[in-house]
Amino acid sequence: MSGQYHRPHRWAWWTERPGYMRFMVRELTSVFMAGYLVVFVMTLASVGGGEAAFAEWIAALGTPAWMAAHVVALIAAVWHAVTFFGAVPQAMPVFLGERRLPGPVAQIVMGYGPWLTVSAVIVWWVVR
Amino acid sequence: MANNGKITLEIFRYHPETDSEPRYQSYEVPYNEDWVVLDAINWIKDHIDGTVTHRWSCRMGVCGSCGMMVNGEPKLTCAAFLKDYHPRAVKVEPLVNFPVERDLVVAMDGFMDKLDAVKPYIIRDDVNDTSEGEYRQSPAELARYKQFSMCINCMLCYAACPVVGHEEEFLGPAALALGHRYNKDSRDEGQSERMEVMLSDEAMWGCTFVGECSVVCPKHVDPAGAIQQAKAMGAQEYFKGFVMPRGAGE
Repeated sequence: MSGQYHRPHRWAWWTERPGYMRFMVRELTSVFMAGYLVVFVMTLASVGGGEAAFAEWIAALGTPAWMAAHVVALIAAVWHAVTFFGAVPQAMPVFLGERRLPGPVAQIVMGYGPWLTVSAVIVWWVVR
Repeated sequence: MANNGKITLEIFRYHPETDSEPRYQSYEVPYNEDWVVLDAINWIKDHIDGTVTHRWSCRMGVCGSCGMMVNGEPKLTCAAFLKDYHPRAVKVEPLVNFPVERDLVVAMDGFMDKLDAVKPYIIRDDVNDTSEGEYRQSPAELARYKQFSMCINCMLCYAACPVVGHEEEFLGPAALALGHRYNKDSRDEGQSERMEVMLSDEAMWGCTFVGECSVVCPKHVDPAGAIQQAKAMGAQEYFKGFVMPRGAGE
């Protein structure tokens, strides 16, 4: 039908609701995660360059600016992980017969539990 | 407590035959703490201005007709109490992300087409005669989809979804949740038909999981959860296609 009114595009839509802001912050944490992957790849590359190159690279990562970057990346990674596990009960509900496991329990069964198990196996494999 | 002064409603007005742009009109109505926003709009229409146009029907959160933006929040106006806003003014607008037909009424055609696209009904390969009785279902099987069957098509989730605002073709929360509801129904055999639509570019993979659809849903359907579950189901089908190319989707 002609004569309908179409609202203009809202470019600042993400400022309209706290939930939109939380979404954008979470998306932004991915940038830090991707950045840290680059650091990881560079670390591997320095290993390829020999012991001196590796030591030099590790020393550089210990400067105050890098330390600040590590902290920011860690906060971003923790926030990303916590919100990921927070979404697990919605995306992967667990049913016992007619009963659906409550959110916090499902987070442990489907999220934190398997993650801690895999992490423990890796730690055991590395330090054994 | 009965009437206690007045409350102002600022209402979005748009009449296509006279207005090229929308405008806002303020109305003072009696404040009654038992009233919901819908009562106030009905009072305006009955006592001040009969040209105000809005949709409503049941007044008890079942029909899904009276969804509007109340102070910027998608709400069923039959469930939005004036006492939660008084003494501040209440701004009432048509649901965002939809074209406006007139005043508070939005065009639903696109939404209805999207609902239709996911085939929200039970599909059977063989339809039994009614004399053979009903298709049996256990309480555990019912529990898998019951939450998603509570949708009243009020479209609040479409107003809360930024993807709907950006991609007109995006199938949207309610339609995808209903598609998933039937895919999870043990009596249904239409998953592969439905998945053809739900796996298309403008369907579930368009959802970025902002999650506000579930926040505003008045019936706690959790469309965001339904879509993520549907994604998992779609991914399983995709990988099954490698392992069992002939059996996939059956």
